[in-house]
Amino acid sequence: MHILLIEDDERISGYVAKALREEGHLVDVAADGRSGLTQATSEAYDVIVLDRMLPQVDGLKVLHALRGMDDTTPVLILSALGDADERVRGLRAGGDDYLAKPFSIEELVARVEVLGRRRGQPELPARHMFDDLLVDPVARVVSRAGKRIELTNREFRILEYLARNAGRVVTRSMLLEHVWDYNFDPQTNIIDQHVSRLRQKLERVGGEPLIETVRGAGYSIRRGSA
Amino acid sequence: MTLLRSLSFRLALLYLAVFAGSVALLGGLFYWIEVARPLAEIRGDIRSESAALSEFYRGEDPAALTAALEARAVAEAPRVAYHALLNSRGEPLTANLPSWPGNFAPGWKRIEADVAREGDEDEYEALVLDQQLPGGLRLLLGRDIDDIDELEESLSDTVLWIVPALLLLGVCGGALMSRVIAARLDAISSAARGVIDGDLSSRIELRGASDDFDRLAATLNLMLDRLEASLDAVRRVSDSVAHELRTPLARLQAELADLSASPAPEGAARALAEATRLQTVIDAVLRIARIEAGRHAMTARPVDLSALLADVIEFYQPEADVRGQQLVVSVAPGLSFAGDGDLLFQGFANLLDNAVKFTPDGGTIVIGAAEEGGAIQVEVRNDALVSAPEQLDRVTERFFRAPGAAGVVGLGLGLSLVAAIAVAHRSDLSFRSDEKSFLAIWRFHTRDG
Repeated sequence: MHILLIEDDERISGYVAKALREEGHLVDVAADGRSGLTQATSEAYDVIVLDRMLPQVDGLKVLHALRGMDDTTPVLILSALGDADERVRGLRAGGDDYLAKPFSIEELVARVEVLGRRRGQPELPARHMFDDLLVDPVARVVSRAGKRIELTNREFRILEYLARNAGRVVTRSMLLEHVWDYNFDPQTNIIDQHVSRLRQKLERVGGEPLIETVRGAGYSIRRGSA
Repeated sequence: MTLLRSLSFRLALLYLAVFAGSVALLGGLFYWIEVARPLAEIRGDIRSESAALSEFYRGEDPAALTAALEARAVAEAPRVAYHALLNSRGEPLTANLPSWPGNFAPGWKRIEADVAREGDEDEYEALVLDQQLPGGLRLLLGRDIDDIDELEESLSDTVLWIVPALLLLGVCGGALMSRVIAARLDAISSAARGVIDGDLSSRIELRGASDDFDRLAATLNLMLDRLEASLDAVRRVSDSVAHELRTPLARLQAELADLSASPAPEGAARALAEATRLQTVIDAVLRIARIEAGRHAMTARPVDLSALLADVIEFYQPEADVRGQQLVVSVAPGLSFAGDGDLLFQGFANLLDNAVKFTPDGGTIVIGAAEEGGAIQVEVRNDALVSAPEQLDRVTERFFRAPGAAGVVGLGLGLSLVAAIAVAHRSDLSFRSDEKSFLAIWRFHTRDG
């Protein structure tokens, strides 16, 4: 993917750019709002990572200008203001995702990749196949080798989110944001218990483990054929 | 009665009482000077006249007295002189009084003395001394007091009509004054309530009359301006603290992540974990501070607490299952409360998180919610090694860790956050414990009062 990183802190931009390049992405870096905006409009990017507080032109203003030009490139906002209402403000301004500083690099990479994918294939397949597992979001049916698996509503939503992002890492906080309807901060990794329960149900009927744990990052389901 | 509790109304009543007292005092003085004293003087005059006239009647012949009385009746005097001299059979020997009481009764009398003069009948009031003379004669001797009588009458009219009217007007005026003042005070207290509710931009509206209330309102508004300005300054500082803490922490994590990449030096992973923990602490402390300062943009909407509790319980069910804990739930359906759903979810999640963490494996956690007497009460009771009662007050302190909490993951900030959320929702959070269980009670007031 071609990624534009607009971040004034050299240490952080160097570290983020390095991690994204290691994943095989092409990364351009801009150090302030004005040059970032120029860069964003002169080239086509798959994802823009935008710092909230920038010298010259503020991050939200950059976003505003970009959206004003009908530029729909997915934008991930990075901010040292981590509050819930800051987050809402960022998303309202046209951001696609929001990550508070400090963040783990795995979290950032996972989110950037999910944002890039969203742009690459906007249409969701009606059904997902992973080896012998069938996930049908329309009929809300999950079956493995023809055997139907009963999931709770929440388990289904976890599986669906993993399936939609098959082949990419989904972090715990991404699951929390997309599967639960509340914006909150669990004190402990309760999410792990939900995933582990889902995993047990999927494996009980037999077959290979499908949901992988990515150490230090989150979970992933192997890409299948639609 | 709210009117009687109003200071302005009571002041109006007090003023009325003082005013009425002054009027009574002045009226009394006026009565004494203009009525009582002149009457006493007239009585004295009549007595001395009577003594002088008695001199004319030493023997048995009343002729001299009669002549003296008739001369007195026509003599020039400031007050018209009246008399009636009756013999022992009650027949008048001489009289210019038109009538008199038939029976003798010694002492002072008021007698109507109507005098027909040139066709007109003038009514006069006379003060008359009734007395018995030797030889069976009866002498009624008096003077005209009509001017004094009229004054007396108008005074009593005043008392009869003016005083009740005065009282009525005073009470009405007091009530009116109290309403006007109450309206002005209400404007001030509603602005103050706005500030209490976290809207520091709330101000008292000025009437533009530059009266006492406007001056008070202007002073209070000035005070609020200063307060808002200094709070804004604190906010800016806390925002920059947030920024200045988080950015270097992000850098630190970047450095440590670089270090912990292969080949990892000893301790790099531990340092990274420590940095992550530091981040969690800073986030949690800043978040609590924001909610406590009323800075969290609270969106109060009707929240289905029953459904929300079911979601929280569902969230913790797998963890409880792993620990072999039993969740016993009795939540009444349809409990609704106006609040911030995300914050309430966070609050209940923290309570349940604590319960799951501190309940021994295989223990029981009871979650109940019901509405009763204008409040929704949510309870979370769990089996646990319980803190001593004196520690119950401290469980919501930041970084407080119960002595039994060693080995349990946590920062000691979970219940502080719940307490901040409870205050933001004007609800009451309390904790109880007995020998083997810990109970959290969270009461939401659905009715005022």
